Amino acid sequence: MPKKYHIHPKAAPLDLRYVFKFKIVRGENCINCGKCTKVCIYEAHKRRKDDPRRMADPNTVVCRNCFRCIQECPRGALEKSLDKDFANIGGAFWKPDMLISLWKQAEDGKVPVSGAGYRGPFTGTGFDSMWTDMSEIVRPTRDGIHGREYISTSVDLGRRFNHLVFDAEGRLVSKVPDTVDLPIPILFESPTADLSANVREGLVKAAAEIGTCIIMPAADITPEFAEYSDSIIPCLAPVEIDTHRAVIEKARLVAINHSDALMSDLPHVREEIRRISHALTIIRVSAEKDVEETVARLAHSGAEIIHIVADYCGRELSGAAGPDQRLLKDIIRAVHLRLVEDRIRDEVTLIASGGIAMAEHVPKAMLCGADLTAIDIPLMIAVGARLYEEPERQLIFPEGLGRIPVPIVTQRMVNLMGAWHSQILEVMGAMGIREARRLRGESGRAIFFEEVDRDTFGKLFKKNREAVRK
Amino acid sequence: MKPPTVVVKRMPSRFKHQVPKYKVTRSDACINCGTCAKTCPYGVHERVEGQNRAKPPIDYKCIGFACQGNDFYCVGKCPRQALSLSLNPMYATLGDFRWTADMITGTWIMAETGYPPQRTDLEYNVGNSGGGFDKLRFKFPSNPPQVDKSEISTAIPLNRRNDGRANIVISTPVYGGGMSFGSVSLPTMISKARNATKWNTFTCTGEGGYPEMLRPYDDHVITQIATGLFGVREETVQRVKIIEFKYAQGAKPGLGGHLLAEKNTESVARMREAVKGTSLFSPFPFHSVYSIEDHKKHIDWIKEMNPNAIVSVKVSTPNDVDMVAVGSYYAGAHIIHIDGGYGGTGAAPDIAKKNIAMPIEYAITKVHGFLKEEGVRGAMTLIASGGIRTAHDLAKAICLGADGAVIGTAELVSLECVRCGNCESGRGCARGIASTDSELADLFDEDWATQRLVNMYHAWNVQLVDILQKFGMRSVKELVGRTDLLEHIDYSYETELAHHG
Repeated sequence: MPKKYHIHPKAAPLDLRYVFKFKIVRGENCINCGKCTKVCIYEAHKRRKDDPRRMADPNTVVCRNCFRCIQECPRGALEKSLDKDFANIGGAFWKPDMLISLWKQAEDGKVPVSGAGYRGPFTGTGFDSMWTDMSEIVRPTRDGIHGREYISTSVDLGRRFNHLVFDAEGRLVSKVPDTVDLPIPILFESPTADLSANVREGLVKAAAEIGTCIIMPAADITPEFAEYSDSIIPCLAPVEIDTHRAVIEKARLVAINHSDALMSDLPHVREEIRRISHALTIIRVSAEKDVEETVARLAHSGAEIIHIVADYCGRELSGAAGPDQRLLKDIIRAVHLRLVEDRIRDEVTLIASGGIAMAEHVPKAMLCGADLTAIDIPLMIAVGARLYEEPERQLIFPEGLGRIPVPIVTQRMVNLMGAWHSQILEVMGAMGIREARRLRGESGRAIFFEEVDRDTFGKLFKKNREAVRK
Repeated sequence: MKPPTVVVKRMPSRFKHQVPKYKVTRSDACINCGTCAKTCPYGVHERVEGQNRAKPPIDYKCIGFACQGNDFYCVGKCPRQALSLSLNPMYATLGDFRWTADMITGTWIMAETGYPPQRTDLEYNVGNSGGGFDKLRFKFPSNPPQVDKSEISTAIPLNRRNDGRANIVISTPVYGGGMSFGSVSLPTMISKARNATKWNTFTCTGEGGYPEMLRPYDDHVITQIATGLFGVREETVQRVKIIEFKYAQGAKPGLGGHLLAEKNTESVARMREAVKGTSLFSPFPFHSVYSIEDHKKHIDWIKEMNPNAIVSVKVSTPNDVDMVAVGSYYAGAHIIHIDGGYGGTGAAPDIAKKNIAMPIEYAITKVHGFLKEEGVRGAMTLIASGGIRTAHDLAKAICLGADGAVIGTAELVSLECVRCGNCESGRGCARGIASTDSELADLFDEDWATQRLVNMYHAWNVQLVDILQKFGMRSVKELVGRTDLLEHIDYSYETELAHHG
């Protein structure tokens, strides 16, 4: 059995206030009777330290929305509402509750657990329009995160052969290409934002600690990161290859942004990189309208690893917003199916990114056909960044973040990934899949809203309607 | 129809205030004339003789903008225009897409009065989830056959196999879901059992043992055998009429259960025959079941131990739940209980609640259809749970093909749960419903709780009878599988027209 992969979470509270959901205001008709102090089990209500005859302002950060104080105040003097910050943060994709959940996962690395049933909409767009399946009576894997049987989340990156070729004497002719093995199907990406030095260092160290890699602009890879070269994927343009010789030499993987020119030049570019090191090449392709065409052509021209990049909400990059604009779920499915059709799917590795915001998105992206995913924004939320979608994408870092020691920054990112890893295990355990590699394109383990709705309600209610028409 | 043991009695909230939907504001222009106090029949305004200021309005009693047409509307009556009415921002902190604030408020009113709310400003039958039950509507005929309400039966049989085992008939097609001792307080558990007894229906122990205090209600208790086998003993299996195998729970299918060490108190540990203060895992799945044959052997084992009891199989809702249901029929089960993905729980990973397995609406449709195709529908009782929030959900579930439903959250909301979702954390439920904390578990007594549950069941029954009457039916059994009586908003003429012109 391989060594069990484990991410070690450790409480890493950050002394920077984050968003909270509820706000309680004490009205003027409060008679300072202290009933709220007695009934609140979360200690939101306390007397003032300087004057114990009077009640202090409610500490709404700890409020868990139990309504006890509201309902038991003899004067009805307490009022609760949604905090304004909470209402404004995020947007239609990055919902405020999601941001708070990511923040909490970074605090302690625990799987978010709560009581009461699901609270959200029945279905939604993109990944919200699918469920993961499970096996009811019998299945091979048991116990999810408490597993006695090992569930592997490893994936490998690189070109693979559909078959091996032997010569007449039975000797292996194929030269088996190198692959890079990652213990978790998540790569980090350096976000396009001004990062303070400690955050940048934290990103690299966290990637190294959990055994994954971070894609970052080659220009940002300063000498002090030398010891982490195994965990850093320099990202550059083909013309910069010579300039960044030194980082490419040590890298296991190199990322190149796709351009029309690259398509014809690909063999040459790969040759150039190979002359410098054994690094495998990732081609980063924007998720535009015809992304499946581009990916198919790249795959046929020998690309090893292709990274499909959607926007930060998982939307297609070209074209106007609207019902025709595809989301990451559909983009990945289209690309995957196109490669399957071309019988070349098994030979390349697909990375998907853009709108991978919660742990559930990782297995869902894989079920749709990705080999692995890449993330940036969740790692920033882990260190307290606030994201706003309106009026335009804005990532705001908390004041004082630059002062936070690197170990804490690192630990919070590790914690977040620990929580995600555990959640991926839960979902895989329920599916009865114990190899993350087997998740790829396993749409039989997914339930797609459009399909199940059409097969059940569609059949029933269309039939009913037609019966009425006759 | 309600059994004679059911007596509706007003049982008000145990709290001083309820959560207000509206906000009534009194400005400085008020001259304390007392007109509002005299005119408002709901008691929003109060003026105490001898005090020179009227008391702050009691918002939660106000019926809101629906009052505008009344000649006693305070805002209109005030001689100084000192009163104004608005939506209360507090209301936005109650409820969610599935259980809206109106639905919670409506359920509270049912538990208090025993009848559906008279208020027209509360949409308490349908949630805001934008799918499933919330997109289904009844198509009532304009001229249904005349049926008197007293002739309408809501009873359903639970044993349809004609195998000589107990012929159990419940008076209303609903029973209480499994909640273990440890996940809910003893008063909650006992009140559920007392209500089940009064309503001639059932409650379920969940996986956590069979507290002695439930003994008087044995005939209305389902004992559960789940994967951890906690508290399963031969004598408890022998004392009940229904035994339920729990394969999975809709909120966390495929994950098993986990009782945190701090919740495993001395009494909980004794009940579960475990060591106090240790984490208790119910693994997934049954480690003694490796095939559908093993599933049958499980059922045979129970049938051998209790020759009179009937067997229920509780499963969650994967894509192939229909095959599991048919397998359960051939294994000898009487009830197939399917628990949808959006169902309740005392604690589950958020990722599981949202993502794993499908909503109950699809599962009912699939299972009912497949059992019919296999020609065994008539021999099985199909019970749906996991997202049955209201009497309308219940009736819709029956139209889709269920015989009846199991409810959990609606019962707890009757006991004034606000769905804050903190059942599992720290000392547990702040409202005393789902806590074994010595102080919190003592927040209400069983008489209060039982009556609230009896009232809520009554209100649901009133609504169900009303629906049956509008369809001209004499029995709830006639409603089963009548999808022709439902309309789905996405597939209606109007939607079709809007899309295609």
